[in-house]
Amino acid sequence: MRGRVALHPIETGHHNHSHPYYDVMVPPENAPDRRFPQAVFARGTEPDARFSLANERTFLAWTRTSLALIAGGVALEALGLDLQPQLRLAASLVLIVVGALLPVAAWVAWAHTERALREGRHLPHPPVGAVLAITLTVAGVLVLLAVLLR
Amino acid sequence: MSAPGPVDVGLQIERTTLSWRRTGLAVAIGSLVAMRLLPELLGGLAWAIPGGVGVLASLWMWWMSRRRHRAFVERAAASGTPRIGGAAPLFAIAVGTTLIGLFGLGLTTLVR
Repeated sequence: MRGRVALHPIETGHHNHSHPYYDVMVPPENAPDRRFPQAVFARGTEPDARFSLANERTFLAWTRTSLALIAGGVALEALGLDLQPQLRLAASLVLIVVGALLPVAAWVAWAHTERALREGRHLPHPPVGAVLAITLTVAGVLVLLAVLLR
Repeated sequence: MSAPGPVDVGLQIERTTLSWRRTGLAVAIGSLVAMRLLPELLGGLAWAIPGGVGVLASLWMWWMSRRRHRAFVERAAASGTPRIGGAAPLFAIAVGTTLIGLFGLGLTTLVR
Protein backbone atom coordinates (compact mmCIF):
# COMPACT_ATOMS: atom_id res chain seq x y z
CA MET A 1 0.00 0.00 0.00
CA ARG A 2 1.40 3.36 -0.89
CA GLY A 3 -0.58 5.85 1.14
CA ARG A 4 -1.10 6.14 4.86
CA VAL A 5 -4.41 7.88 4.31
CA ALA A 6 -5.79 4.58 3.14
CA LEU A 7 -8.74 2.95 4.78
CA HIS A 8 -9.52 -0.71 4.63
CA PRO A 9 -11.77 -1.62 1.67
CA ILE A 10 -14.40 -2.88 4.07
CA GLU A 11 -14.97 0.75 5.04
CA THR A 12 -16.65 1.19 1.64
CA GLY A 13 -13.91 3.28 0.14
CA HIS A 14 -13.25 2.93 -3.57
CA HIS A 15 -10.22 2.44 -5.77
CA ASN A 16 -9.48 5.13 -8.31
CA HIS A 17 -7.94 3.11 -11.14
CA SER A 18 -7.68 6.12 -13.43
CA HIS A 19 -4.69 7.49 -11.62
CA PRO A 20 -1.13 6.38 -10.83
CA TYR A 21 -2.06 6.55 -7.16
CA TYR A 22 -4.81 4.01 -7.73
CA ASP A 23 -3.62 1.87 -4.85
CA VAL A 24 -4.66 4.53 -2.35
CA MET A 25 -8.05 3.93 -0.80
CA VAL A 26 -10.18 7.01 -0.50
CA PRO A 27 -12.63 7.21 2.38
CA PRO A 28 -16.20 7.80 1.30
CA GLU A 29 -17.44 11.35 1.36
CA ASN A 30 -19.86 10.63 4.19
CA ALA A 31 -17.28 8.94 6.41
CA PRO A 32 -17.17 10.42 9.94
CA ASP A 33 -14.49 13.04 10.32
CA ARG A 34 -12.35 12.08 13.31
CA ARG A 35 -9.61 14.65 12.87
CA PHE A 36 -8.32 16.48 15.96
CA PRO A 37 -9.69 18.76 17.31
CA GLN A 38 -13.31 17.80 16.96
CA ALA A 39 -14.33 21.26 18.18
CA VAL A 40 -13.11 22.42 14.76
CA PHE A 41 -13.48 19.52 12.36
CA ALA A 42 -16.93 18.39 13.52
CA ARG A 43 -18.39 21.70 12.38
CA GLY A 44 -19.36 23.05 8.99
CA THR A 45 -18.15 21.68 5.68
CA GLU A 46 -14.75 21.05 4.19
CA PRO A 47 -13.33 24.37 2.91
CA ASP A 48 -10.96 24.87 -0.01
CA ALA A 49 -7.84 23.09 1.23
CA ARG A 50 -5.64 25.95 0.02
CA PHE A 51 -7.17 28.24 2.64
CA SER A 52 -6.65 25.64 5.37
CA LEU A 53 -3.03 25.25 4.31
CA ALA A 54 -2.56 29.03 4.44
CA ASN A 55 -4.02 28.96 7.96
CA GLU A 56 -1.53 26.22 8.90
CA ARG A 57 1.39 28.27 7.52
CA THR A 58 0.25 31.26 9.56
CA PHE A 59 0.29 29.12 12.69
CA LEU A 60 3.82 27.93 11.87
CA ALA A 61 4.95 31.52 11.23
CA TRP A 62 3.69 32.53 14.68
CA THR A 63 5.57 29.57 16.13
CA ARG A 64 8.80 30.77 14.54
CA THR A 65 8.12 34.27 15.86
CA SER A 66 7.68 32.79 19.32
CA LEU A 67 10.95 30.88 19.03
CA ALA A 68 12.73 34.08 17.96
CA LEU A 69 11.36 35.99 20.97
CA ILE A 70 12.42 33.23 23.37
CA ALA A 71 15.88 32.94 21.79
CA GLY A 72 16.33 36.72 21.90
CA GLY A 73 15.24 36.92 25.52
CA VAL A 74 17.52 34.09 26.66
CA ALA A 75 20.46 35.42 24.63
CA LEU A 76 20.08 38.87 26.18
CA GLU A 77 20.87 37.41 29.60
CA ALA A 78 23.02 34.42 28.69
CA LEU A 79 25.51 36.43 26.67
CA GLY A 80 26.14 38.79 29.59
CA LEU A 81 26.01 41.96 27.53
CA ASP A 82 27.35 45.14 29.10
CA LEU A 83 23.96 46.71 29.85
CA GLN A 84 22.20 48.01 32.96
CA PRO A 85 21.46 44.64 34.68
CA GLN A 86 17.89 45.23 35.93
CA LEU A 87 16.67 46.71 32.67
CA ARG A 88 18.40 43.97 30.71
CA LEU A 89 16.67 41.33 32.83
CA ALA A 90 13.31 43.11 32.43
CA ALA A 91 13.66 43.16 28.63
CA SER A 92 14.68 39.52 28.66
CA LEU A 93 11.66 38.50 30.76
CA VAL A 94 9.24 40.48 28.58
CA LEU A 95 10.50 38.69 25.46
CA ILE A 96 10.49 35.22 27.02
CA VAL A 97 7.09 35.47 28.72
CA VAL A 98 5.38 36.72 25.56
CA GLY A 99 7.31 34.14 23.52
CA ALA A 100 6.00 31.39 25.79
CA LEU A 101 2.39 32.61 25.58
CA LEU A 102 2.39 33.26 21.85
CA PRO A 103 2.04 29.59 20.79
CA VAL A 104 -1.15 29.33 22.88
CA ALA A 105 -2.55 32.40 21.14
CA ALA A 106 -1.44 31.01 17.77
CA TRP A 107 -3.25 27.72 18.44
CA VAL A 108 -6.45 29.52 19.44
CA ALA A 109 -6.19 31.78 16.37
CA TRP A 110 -5.67 28.74 14.14
CA ALA A 111 -8.76 27.01 15.59
CA HIS A 112 -10.97 30.11 15.27
CA THR A 113 -9.85 30.73 11.70
CA GLU A 114 -10.30 27.11 10.64
CA ARG A 115 -13.76 27.03 12.20
CA ALA A 116 -14.69 30.26 10.41
CA LEU A 117 -13.49 28.76 7.12
CA ARG A 118 -15.58 25.64 7.68
CA GLU A 119 -18.68 27.64 8.59
CA GLY A 120 -18.30 30.18 5.80
CA ARG A 121 -18.02 33.10 8.18
CA HIS A 122 -15.79 36.16 8.01
CA LEU A 123 -12.30 35.40 9.24
CA PRO A 124 -11.58 36.56 12.80
CA HIS A 125 -8.91 39.15 13.45
CA PRO A 126 -6.97 37.88 16.48
CA PRO A 127 -5.15 40.54 18.53
CA VAL A 128 -1.80 38.70 18.57
CA GLY A 129 -0.31 41.16 16.07
CA ALA A 130 -0.99 44.08 18.39
CA VAL A 131 0.43 42.13 21.34
CA LEU A 132 3.61 41.46 19.37
CA ALA A 133 3.96 45.13 18.40
CA ILE A 134 3.56 46.26 22.01
CA THR A 135 5.99 43.60 23.24
CA LEU A 136 8.70 44.57 20.79
CA THR A 137 8.24 48.26 21.56
CA VAL A 138 8.49 47.68 25.32
CA ALA A 139 11.51 45.39 24.97
CA GLY A 140 13.17 47.85 22.59
CA VAL A 141 12.68 50.78 24.99
CA LEU A 142 14.02 48.70 27.89
CA VAL A 143 17.13 47.72 25.93
CA LEU A 144 17.65 51.33 24.86
CA LEU A 145 17.43 52.50 28.47
CA ALA A 146 19.75 49.66 29.50
CA VAL A 147 22.30 50.91 26.97
CA LEU A 148 21.98 54.54 28.04
CA LEU A 149 22.08 53.86 31.80
CA ARG A 150 24.82 51.23 31.95
CA MET B 1 -1.14 6.92 -19.33
CA SER B 2 -1.88 10.62 -19.05
CA ALA B 3 -0.36 12.78 -16.37
CA PRO B 4 -2.64 13.81 -13.53
CA GLY B 5 -4.13 17.27 -13.64
CA PRO B 6 -3.13 19.96 -11.21
CA VAL B 7 -4.33 19.11 -7.72
CA ASP B 8 -2.50 21.91 -5.97
CA VAL B 9 -2.83 25.21 -7.77
CA GLY B 10 -0.32 27.63 -6.28
CA LEU B 11 1.80 24.81 -4.82
CA GLN B 12 0.11 25.37 -1.48
CA ILE B 13 1.13 22.04 0.01
CA GLU B 14 4.75 22.55 -1.06
CA ARG B 15 4.79 25.98 0.56
CA THR B 16 3.28 24.52 3.71
CA THR B 17 5.84 21.70 3.79
CA LEU B 18 8.65 24.24 3.42
CA SER B 19 7.11 26.26 6.26
CA TRP B 20 7.19 23.15 8.46
CA ARG B 21 10.83 22.64 7.55
CA ARG B 22 11.77 26.25 8.28
CA THR B 23 10.18 25.84 11.70
CA GLY B 24 12.00 22.55 12.26
CA LEU B 25 15.30 24.14 11.26
CA ALA B 26 14.68 27.01 13.68
CA VAL B 27 14.18 24.46 16.47
CA ALA B 28 17.31 22.55 15.40
CA ILE B 29 19.49 25.68 15.30
CA GLY B 30 18.17 26.86 18.67
CA SER B 31 18.86 23.42 20.13
CA LEU B 32 22.42 23.33 18.82
CA VAL B 33 23.09 26.83 20.17
CA ALA B 34 21.65 25.71 23.51
CA MET B 35 24.01 22.73 23.55
CA ARG B 36 26.85 25.18 23.02
CA LEU B 37 25.79 27.60 25.79
CA LEU B 38 24.27 25.33 28.42
CA PRO B 39 27.43 23.50 29.63
CA GLU B 40 28.50 26.79 31.26
CA LEU B 41 25.14 27.14 33.04
CA LEU B 42 24.14 23.57 33.93
CA GLY B 43 26.33 21.00 35.58
CA GLY B 44 26.80 17.31 34.81
CA LEU B 45 25.16 16.04 31.67
CA ALA B 46 21.92 17.96 32.23
CA TRP B 47 23.00 20.48 29.61
CA ALA B 48 22.65 17.86 26.87
CA ILE B 49 19.00 17.06 27.56
CA PRO B 50 17.25 20.22 26.25
CA GLY B 51 19.38 20.38 23.14
CA GLY B 52 18.97 16.66 22.48
CA VAL B 53 15.20 16.84 22.87
CA GLY B 54 15.14 19.86 20.54
CA VAL B 55 17.13 18.07 17.84
CA LEU B 56 14.80 15.07 18.09
CA ALA B 57 11.80 17.41 17.87
CA SER B 58 13.19 19.01 14.72
CA LEU B 59 13.70 15.58 13.16
CA TRP B 60 10.08 14.69 14.07
CA MET B 61 8.91 17.90 12.38
CA TRP B 62 10.84 17.02 9.24
CA TRP B 63 9.26 13.56 9.18
CA MET B 64 5.81 14.92 9.97
CA SER B 65 6.01 17.50 7.15
CA ARG B 66 6.84 14.72 4.70
CA ARG B 67 4.05 12.51 6.00
CA ARG B 68 1.43 15.26 5.78
CA HIS B 69 2.62 16.26 2.33
CA ARG B 70 2.31 12.70 1.01
CA ALA B 71 -1.06 12.14 2.63
CA PHE B 72 -2.40 15.37 1.12
CA VAL B 73 -1.11 14.67 -2.38
CA GLU B 74 -2.26 11.06 -2.37
CA ARG B 75 -5.73 11.95 -1.21
CA ALA B 76 -5.95 14.76 -3.75
CA ALA B 77 -4.81 12.47 -6.53
CA ALA B 78 -7.11 9.64 -5.55
CA SER B 79 -10.29 11.49 -4.72
CA GLY B 80 -9.91 14.95 -6.25
CA THR B 81 -10.98 16.50 -2.95
CA PRO B 82 -7.84 17.39 -1.02
CA ARG B 83 -8.08 18.25 2.63
CA ILE B 84 -5.63 18.93 5.42
CA GLY B 85 -4.70 16.38 8.05
CA GLY B 86 -5.69 16.62 11.70
CA ALA B 87 -4.14 19.31 13.86
CA ALA B 88 -2.64 17.15 16.62
CA PRO B 89 0.90 17.91 15.35
CA LEU B 90 0.12 21.62 15.44
CA PHE B 91 -1.12 21.26 19.00
CA ALA B 92 2.07 19.38 19.91
CA ILE B 93 4.16 22.17 18.40
CA ALA B 94 2.24 24.79 20.38
CA VAL B 95 2.74 22.86 23.63
CA GLY B 96 6.41 22.19 22.84
CA THR B 97 7.15 25.83 22.05
CA THR B 98 5.47 26.93 25.26
CA LEU B 99 7.63 24.43 27.17
CA ILE B 100 10.73 25.85 25.46
CA GLY B 101 9.64 29.27 26.66
CA LEU B 102 9.13 28.06 30.23
CA PHE B 103 12.55 26.40 30.14
CA GLY B 104 14.07 29.66 28.94
CA LEU B 105 12.25 31.51 31.71
CA GLY B 106 13.63 29.12 34.33
CA LEU B 107 17.10 29.39 32.85
CA THR B 108 17.03 33.18 32.92
CA THR B 109 15.58 33.59 36.41
CA LEU B 110 16.98 30.61 38.33
CA VAL B 111 20.36 29.83 36.76
CA ARG B 112 22.18 33.15 36.83
